[in-house]
Amino acid sequence: MALVRIALINISRRRLRTSLTVCGIAVGIAAFVALVGFSKSFEREWLKLYQSGGTDLAVVQKTFLNTSVDERVGDRIRALAAVAEASPVVVNLMDLTPDVNALVFGLPEDSFEMAPLRILEGRKFRGEEAEAMLGEVLAGNLGKKAGDMMEIQGAHFRVVGVFRGGSALETGGVMMPIGQLQNLAEMQGKVTAFHVRLRPAPSGQSEEEYLRQARAAIEAAEPGLKAVPAGERAHNNQLVSLARSIAWGTSLIALLAGALGIANTMAMAVFERTREIGILRALGWRRWRVILLIELEAAALGSIGGMVGLIGGWGALRGLASLPMTANIGDASISWPHAGQALAMAIAIGLAAGALPAWRAARLSPVEALRHE
Amino acid sequence: MSDEPILRVQNLTKKYDEGRIQALRGVDLQIPQGEFLTISGPSGSGKSTLLQLLGGLDEPSSGEVFYRGANLAGAFDLDAYRSRRVGFIFQAFHLLPALRVPDNVQIPMLEGPLSARERSRRAEALLEEVGMTHRTRQYPNQLSAGERQRVAIARSLANDPEILLGDEPTGNLDSENSARIMALLSGIQSRRSLTIVLVTHEAEVARMGHRNVHMLDGRVVG
Repeated sequence: MALVRIALINISRRRLRTSLTVCGIAVGIAAFVALVGFSKSFEREWLKLYQSGGTDLAVVQKTFLNTSVDERVGDRIRALAAVAEASPVVVNLMDLTPDVNALVFGLPEDSFEMAPLRILEGRKFRGEEAEAMLGEVLAGNLGKKAGDMMEIQGAHFRVVGVFRGGSALETGGVMMPIGQLQNLAEMQGKVTAFHVRLRPAPSGQSEEEYLRQARAAIEAAEPGLKAVPAGERAHNNQLVSLARSIAWGTSLIALLAGALGIANTMAMAVFERTREIGILRALGWRRWRVILLIELEAAALGSIGGMVGLIGGWGALRGLASLPMTANIGDASISWPHAGQALAMAIAIGLAAGALPAWRAARLSPVEALRHE
Repeated sequence: MSDEPILRVQNLTKKYDEGRIQALRGVDLQIPQGEFLTISGPSGSGKSTLLQLLGGLDEPSSGEVFYRGANLAGAFDLDAYRSRRVGFIFQAFHLLPALRVPDNVQIPMLEGPLSARERSRRAEALLEEVGMTHRTRQYPNQLSAGERQRVAIARSLANDPEILLGDEPTGNLDSENSARIMALLSGIQSRRSLTIVLVTHEAEVARMGHRNVHMLDGRVVG
């Protein structure tokens, strides 16, 4: 008979209370899995976007909010020795219908980021005409095909092609001439960023060192801007940062509520079982073993809640990822590290919430506890 | 063998409620190894308090408790003393309601070095010693009062103690079950050469020990 078994027996004694406590922590974990999972997925898709387009660096404003960049700096960036190409890009999240949002990318027709796109239907847009290309998932959601007309923010566009991109952000998004999007977003003369592809590193120089030097050169040439490696940009762009902050904020509130549920349950359990704890102490159990028993019960509540939350969160993530409002900007997969993090968090919350009741239980005098009614 | 008694108390006092209640007023007592001692007295005479101090469940306000000549207050880890040297039985049995009979018997063993298999074997042997092998699937609430006390006795022997302390162990039993439990304790005492200290307010039970001390108002009076 191990201590773990006694802990499991104890938490099964009050099934309704245990179930409600497990539900409390499961809701928190499910929120964490779904929301943080979604924001991580969003981040992964941004990284894929940069990688599939061959972007090494993104040049953005140095300011915290990374607003817009004057498009005239493009020529100065292109003139730098390490820079092979620098493509301006405007990105905006727009309502296409009352139910469907999508990321809209504005690019020059000859941007190097257009090259990897695979045209499934129609053609790429040309020049600065009022033309748009739809990612295949978005085209399916909207029921549009090449040749159809669509309205974006009050302006009319001809759908000239349907494409498949390397990232869900593209396949669920819209591509249009950069000037058209600048007009729509009232960003004339401004771009969101310049995406830079570097020349190959000279032989004998490491990629890392070469990247560092290229960044320094760009930032020296344009003191108000910063050159961010693609991976870092995927992690830190405004949309990802916003999604991550909302996801963590919401999850932490839900997790806190779950933790309070466990703390309440364990405090009640210790109070109700005061005499039993006195018996254990009278029979020679040390204080740390009493603490271990209570903490095992709290950790068991946390881990059961964590597992239920993982399943619930995975379902919620699937639902979230399939909503037209989320613009197909993430997939529904949960990575093993994310699942492990959620489970570890659930157990840690259980242990933290059980700590005070466990400490109080261990401090009980055996004689006083045996007298407890 | 040393002449030092297994338990000795010297000028023992115990006060509660900031001294307003004085449960023990200078008790001196020696208990030789292997003795079956009964302590009798009316309610409030201090006999249960004395037992708690002998068992290391509580600490005296003044005076000393010696186990084999060593002062419990300084020389001992009281948890280890309760776990290894002493077994307790209570009037209210104090079995854990969520655990089956053998699991209850194994509870004190969790403080020891035994493996799960050894614990299980020992619990089985102890239940056989108290005549409870036929009730191993039951929970405490499925047992009669006499059966519960037998299980509690088996549990008190879990770590092979030298001293068995009983606080009114027949207090919740009818006369027939009382007699059976006392016979069981006598048998265990003689087989194991245990030192038994048993608190009771029943004159018949008090007479069944090797020696009886009587307490009144926190003092040993006879």
